[in-house]
Amino acid sequence: MKRLFTIYLLLMVLFFFTGCAGVREFFGDITEKILNKNPEKAPEVTKALPSFSYLEKALEYEKNDELQTALFYMQIAGTLNPDSTKIPEKIASLKSFIDHKARQHFAKGVEFCEKERFKDARRQFLTTLRYSPNHKEALTYLKNRLYSKEYLNYKVKEKDTLKDISKKFYKDPSKNFLIAYFNNLKTGNEPVSGTILELPVLESKFNQPPIDIRIELIKAENLLEEKRCREALDIAEKILEYDHLNKKASDLKNSAYYQIGLELSGQEKYPEAIKMFKKVTPEYQGVKEAIQQVINKELIKAKNLLKEKQYEQVLAVAGKILDYDKSNKAAEDLINTTFCQQGKDLIIRKNYTQALNVLNRANPQYDCVKKTISDVYKAKKKQAEVHYLNGVKHFLNEELQSAIKEWEKTLALNPEHKKAKKNINNARSLLEKLKKVK
Amino acid sequence: MQQFVNRRKIIFHIIVLLSLLLLAACATITRWYHKTSEIRINDDFIIVKATAKDTLSSLAAEYLNDPSKGWLIAEFNHIKSLTSGQELCIPLFPFNKGGLKSGGFQTVPVLAYYSFSKNKPSKISITQDDFKAQMKYLKENGYHVITLDQLLSFFDYQEQVPEKSVAITFDDGWISVYDIAFPILKKYGFPATIFIYTDFIGGGKAMSWKQIKELSEAGFDIQCQTKTHRNLTVLREKESFREYFKSLEMEISYPKKVIKKKLNKECEYLAYPYGKTNNLVIAMLKKHGYRAAFTVDKKSNPFFIDKYKINRSAIYGEYDIEKFKKKLSVFQHMELK
Repeated sequence: MKRLFTIYLLLMVLFFFTGCAGVREFFGDITEKILNKNPEKAPEVTKALPSFSYLEKALEYEKNDELQTALFYMQIAGTLNPDSTKIPEKIASLKSFIDHKARQHFAKGVEFCEKERFKDARRQFLTTLRYSPNHKEALTYLKNRLYSKEYLNYKVKEKDTLKDISKKFYKDPSKNFLIAYFNNLKTGNEPVSGTILELPVLESKFNQPPIDIRIELIKAENLLEEKRCREALDIAEKILEYDHLNKKASDLKNSAYYQIGLELSGQEKYPEAIKMFKKVTPEYQGVKEAIQQVINKELIKAKNLLKEKQYEQVLAVAGKILDYDKSNKAAEDLINTTFCQQGKDLIIRKNYTQALNVLNRANPQYDCVKKTISDVYKAKKKQAEVHYLNGVKHFLNEELQSAIKEWEKTLALNPEHKKAKKNINNARSLLEKLKKVK
Repeated sequence: MQQFVNRRKIIFHIIVLLSLLLLAACATITRWYHKTSEIRINDDFIIVKATAKDTLSSLAAEYLNDPSKGWLIAEFNHIKSLTSGQELCIPLFPFNKGGLKSGGFQTVPVLAYYSFSKNKPSKISITQDDFKAQMKYLKENGYHVITLDQLLSFFDYQEQVPEKSVAITFDDGWISVYDIAFPILKKYGFPATIFIYTDFIGGGKAMSWKQIKELSEAGFDIQCQTKTHRNLTVLREKESFREYFKSLEMEISYPKKVIKKKLNKECEYLAYPYGKTNNLVIAMLKKHGYRAAFTVDKKSNPFFIDKYKINRSAIYGEYDIEKFKKKLSVFQHMELK
C-alpha cells in the first residue's frame, strides 16, 4: 500500500507538471491578451513570432511593384520585430518612394488632362491612386473632371434677365423656365447680379428650332408677295428667335413691317403706320421718307383740327409726332400755337384763369405765348376797370349791395385796385350806419 | 503469485491514471487552444493563428463585426479557405477600395433581367432552368452577389467589394420575377433589385403591390423605372419642349412618391427606360435626390464610372451559359505602373 501511495504521489507530480504545460499555455494566452491591450508592451510578447516571413513577403511585393501591400507587410514585420533598426529605415524609404511615384503620375495625369488626352490622364490618375490610395486630388480628377458636366455655370451680369440668359445660352428666350427650375428661382423673379447659375447643358437637338428654317423662309417670302404681311412677319420673327443672325429672315421682317406701315398709312391710320415703320431698321430703303410722309400728313391733319378749334386733338396728334420724332419743329410749333389760340379764346370768354393755366403748359420762349400771356393780364385789368365803373354807377344810384359786388369782382381780377378796396370799405360802413338808423 | 497479482493491479492503476491524465491534458489543450492568439498591428491589422473551429466567416464576425466579410480576409491573405494553425493577417480597413492592381482595375458587372418563363425563351424572357443554371454558376464559381448600396459604396470609393462581385437587377416588374426568379434567388441567398415602372404594376402580367411588398420585406430592393416607361430622351410627336420637360418631371418624381407611400421606402436609384438618358434627365434626377441611375450599355463598371450612367448587361433569353459567362467581367487589364 505504501508502494502504491508512492506511485500515486509520483503520478500526481507527473500530472501536476503535465497540467502545468496546459496551464502555461493558458496563462500565456491571458498574459498576451493583457499585454496586447497595452500596445507599447505587445512587441515583447511577440518577439518570438517570425517577423522575417512578413519581411520576405514585403520584399516580394515590393519587387512586383505592389508597393502598398509591401508597405503593409513591412509594417507588420516592424511591429513583430521592434528591435530591428533596418525595418523602420526600409519603411521610411518605401513611403518616400511611394510618394515620389504618386506625385510623378499625378503630374503626368494633369498634363494629359490639360491636353485633353483623357484616356491617358485616367490611366495616370489610377496609377497615382494605386500607389497612394488616399490621393484626394487624383480621385477628384477621376470622379469629376474627366466627365463632361451636365451643368455649366453662368455668373449673372447687371440687368441680365432669365430671358436674356436663356437666349444667350439656348438661343431661345422661352427656355427661361428651365433656368428658374434648376436654380430654385420663383417665376417672375429675376436673378441677382453676381449669382452663379447652373444651366443644364442641352443636347443640340433641343437647341434646334422645331421648324425647318429653309422651308419657313420660302413660306414667308410667298406670303409677303401675296401681301399677307402679318403672317409673313410671324414666320420671320419665329426664325429669328432661333437664329437671330439670319439675314433673310431679318430682311423679310423689315419688308413685312414696311408693307404693313404703308397699308396703315393708306388707311389714314398714321400713328399705327409710324409704329410699324419705326420697327423697320432705319437703313431700310424708303423707310425714312415713308415716316416723314406720314408725319406731314399728320401735321396737316392737326392743322385742320386747329382750324376747327379741336385743341385737345391737335395736341394729341402733335404729341404723338413728337413721340416718334422728338426734334420735329413743326409739331412743336403747332403745339405752342394751339396753346396760344386756346388762350386767346379763353380771353374772349373772359376765362382768364383757365387761359393762364393753358398758357403755362406752353413753351414761354415762344413770342405768341409771351404776347398772349400779356394780353391775358391786360384784359384782366381792363375788365377790372369795367367792374369798378359799374360799381360806381350802382353807388351813385344808392345801390350799395350791387356796388360792393362789382368792386369785389374788380378786386378778384386786380387785387391791387386801391380805389375799389377803399370804396368797398366806405360802402360797407354806410350800410352799417343805415342799419342802425333803421 | 500474490505479488504478481498486485503488480498487475498497480500497472492497471497506472494505465488508468495515465489514460485519465492524457484525456485531461487533451481536453485542456483543446479548450485552451480554441481561442486564437492574436497580435494587433497598429489599428490596421490583427494577426491571428486560426484554430480548427475558425472559419473565414467566424473570424470576420469577431474582428470585422460582419460575418459576410470573410472574403476580405481571404483576399488579403490570398487564400480560399482556412486550415487549423494557419497564421492570418486580418485587415481592419478596406485595403484596396478601387480594386487597383499593377495590371489593371476591378470592374463590377450589373446584370439586367426582364421576365421569365417556365420553358419558352424569348428575347426578354429567360427560362427557369437557364436562370437556375446562371445562378448556380455564380455560386459555384465564387461570385459574390452584392446589393446596389454596396455597389454605390464601391463607386464612392468608400468600401471595398469582393474581387468577383456582381449585382443582379430586374426591370419593369413582371409577375414572372415573383413566380420564377424570386424562389431561385432565395435558395442561393442572392440579393437583387427590381426597377419598377409604376403604371405597369397591378396590370395583367405585372406584379401586384402586395407581391412587391412581399419581395421588399424578403430583402429585395425595390427601385424606380419611371412612371410610364417613356423614352426619356425623345420628344413625342408634336410635343413641345415645355411639355417634354413637364413629362420628365412627372416620370422622375411620381414613382418615388408612390414607392414611398406603398413601401415606406426611399427610392434612390433609377433604371432608364430603354437605357437612354441625357444631361437634362440627369440634372433632374439629381434635383429629385436620386443617387445613381442605370443604362443598358453592355460593359462592366469600374469604381470611377459616372454614377448616373452605370452600365448593365442585359441577359437575354437566347443566351447559353457561355454567353452568360462573358457578361461577368470583373477585371479590366491596363498597365498601372
